[in-house]
Amino acid sequence: MPDIEPFTPRGMLHDGWSAQVNDYAIVCGWSMSGKIFNVGDASGDIHAFNGIEGKLIWMNKSAHKGGLLGMSINQDGNILASSGQDGFVRYWNSEDGKEINKIQLGKGWVEHLKWSPDGKHLAIAFSRDVYVFNSLGDKIWHSEKHPSTVSALAWVNNNELATSCYGQVAFFDIENNKVNQRLEWQGSLVSMVISPSGDIVACGSQDNSVHFWRRTTGHDAEMTGYPSKPSNLSFDQSGTLLATGGSERVTVWSFEGNGPEGSIPGELGHHTEPVTSLSFSHKGKLIASGSRDGSVVVSFLQSNGHGNPVGAAFAGDYVSKIAWKPDDCALAAVCSKGSIHVWPFKPR
Amino acid sequence: MDNNKVPVTILTGFLGSGKTTLLNRILGEEHGKKIAVIENEYGEVGIDQGLVIDADEEVFEMSNGCICCTVRGDLIRVLGNLMKRRDKFDYVLVETTGLADPGPVAQTFFMDEEISSEFTLDGIVTLVDAAHIEQQLGRSNESSEQVAFADVIVLNKTDLVSDDSLNNLESRLKDMNRMTRIIRAEQANVPIETVLNLSAFDLDEVLKRRPSFLEPEYPFEWTGVVTLKPGKYEITMEEGPDPEMSLVALLDQGVSEEELKLGAESCVRYFAEKSEELFPGNNIPFSKHINLILNKKGSKNFYLELKQSSRVGLFTQHTAEEFDLRLARMNEDNNKEDIPFEAERIWVAEHEHDDEVSSIAIEREGDVDPEKLNTWMGKLLAEKGVDIFRTKGFISYSGNPKRIVFQGVHMLFTAQPDKEWGNEPRRNQLVFIGRNLDEDQMQKDFDKCLI
Repeated sequence: MPDIEPFTPRGMLHDGWSAQVNDYAIVCGWSMSGKIFNVGDASGDIHAFNGIEGKLIWMNKSAHKGGLLGMSINQDGNILASSGQDGFVRYWNSEDGKEINKIQLGKGWVEHLKWSPDGKHLAIAFSRDVYVFNSLGDKIWHSEKHPSTVSALAWVNNNELATSCYGQVAFFDIENNKVNQRLEWQGSLVSMVISPSGDIVACGSQDNSVHFWRRTTGHDAEMTGYPSKPSNLSFDQSGTLLATGGSERVTVWSFEGNGPEGSIPGELGHHTEPVTSLSFSHKGKLIASGSRDGSVVVSFLQSNGHGNPVGAAFAGDYVSKIAWKPDDCALAAVCSKGSIHVWPFKPR
Repeated sequence: MDNNKVPVTILTGFLGSGKTTLLNRILGEEHGKKIAVIENEYGEVGIDQGLVIDADEEVFEMSNGCICCTVRGDLIRVLGNLMKRRDKFDYVLVETTGLADPGPVAQTFFMDEEISSEFTLDGIVTLVDAAHIEQQLGRSNESSEQVAFADVIVLNKTDLVSDDSLNNLESRLKDMNRMTRIIRAEQANVPIETVLNLSAFDLDEVLKRRPSFLEPEYPFEWTGVVTLKPGKYEITMEEGPDPEMSLVALLDQGVSEEELKLGAESCVRYFAEKSEELFPGNNIPFSKHINLILNKKGSKNFYLELKQSSRVGLFTQHTAEEFDLRLARMNEDNNKEDIPFEAERIWVAEHEHDDEVSSIAIEREGDVDPEKLNTWMGKLLAEKGVDIFRTKGFISYSGNPKRIVFQGVHMLFTAQPDKEWGNEPRRNQLVFIGRNLDEDQMQKDFDKCLI
């Protein structure tokens, strides 16, 4: 939507800063305890902006030949790992952008990577293989070949890693190199999140449904009726609410009581086009959603999944990612045409 | 919005059919277009005009077991990333392995909303090795499916095969897939326009090339011509392979090859019309598509009556031999006098090759009842969707000023209003390409939808 200017935000989203990168911004995240906001774009450039006022601090041009695919910032916020179509993973010092490590996995796309909660291990998905490297860049684990290309990674805790792909979710004990659990289901799982307690794993499926399992009982359920595939999922920090995309609405399932099976989900209908990114705040039940129509909305939810918007802003075009600042005092959105927006968020 | 979508061509064909040669030609040629090629053989080639991306074919079936929901997971990922590049591509070409069923590739562009919002399926091109395809068709389902799905068939390596066999092969391929365009090539040396930007899913383009799907084949196998004086004649038929048979009788039919072809052409139009049932013992009307009911045991008789002399041509669905069809003059004393045909002609009919895969074309004038049609199509695709590879055509809905265009891959189909009919006569054209389809039943069921 090139003709529509971003508008001054209302509600609890306040005027912040904006910036521009040269290509489709595909990944973003906060480093150095929120002092720096990092953005990676499709051409492979990685940027670091001052988190308060948006000044560019450093930029690495063409960090990945052919394009960037993934980015993850460790818990301390001092190492940024990136991956791309060139088959490489690179570690960068978040503060100055200097390269710390470079890992070559082979020929092919490195699509996903994620630091463990303690920031000691980096999980990397490379086609049908998954690797774990430490922060020094040493390989410490290599998975069995998955039945198909790995679609998502998630750490359950510092030693247990979950992977999803077509047909299964698998849980690996990294230290002891064994498979803890394998949840099988014939379907193409395109996204995955795990509840903070580690008991519930939820996956978006290509057949326009959300499939979830309770790990302790092995019980599983399927939430259908989405008009398209739910590529975006987010659990709140209490593990009560699961927000899902898959349409222009945000559908929120509540795990309170006997739910969500048989319950009516909360629905937030504030976007006119499909939801493209979702993120719960680090604390509390604030869900931020971005859409193909360029809008960003923050809603406050009750534990039954229903709720109301508390702030909205217009980012101008297809919102590809959103990210809460570690202290939840700002919300960032990056867009398909390279625009970056950061809004201070003032909780009540 | 539609115009911003990047067109995608799917390139299929068995190993050795020349896909790699064709790809290299496309990428090497000076055409000023940016092309991304998604292929499955390892080896990334960085070249000025395009990008070659390697992808392992990952065919994802869904838990509901529906084959039409099966998609190519790798394509969704790769295309999902391609669309984020600022330097957009003019075309995307997807190469599939020789053994692949093209269904899931095509379905990916219907089933995945994120993909269909950015890309449009432009056409399916199948490369065929003229020297080996006959063998392959006999051996594997995949090769006949690749023929069935094709918008364009590149008949490659024609230098290795005689003209006669090429003609036979071409007619066999056309029997299987009536919508396809066949292009002959020696070393995959076809112009790039024949492979890219086909607009094969744009029905107007398809119809421009071929105004009637029925044209090149004849729905009848036999013609007999005989000169008759005024009077009554009896046509006798014995038991044959079919409990009924379509027939058109023409007056003033010539016997030269040219005149026979002319008659055949006019009969094609009659055959496209809805037939009228005729039971034994009745007179056969002229210039009308009739369906002789032959389910009674033993000999059956039909009659011709002429007020003045004429050369009469009979165009029949099956050959005269199959029913031992004879013609006799009924004299006043009730004596019958057999009359031999002056000229006979066997036509290349649709089922000559007996391939499991075939095309069924339905052409009818008039309007259809939208509700009845939807019920029928829904039922047909639910029951036979697995065996129906492609559906194309247009329909005239009663009360709707616009032509309704149908497009389908397996069970998935779209029905969209297209241009206004204006003064054009209302008519319907539908082509189904599939395996083991019951043409007669489908024609009958369609007729029930007519108003």
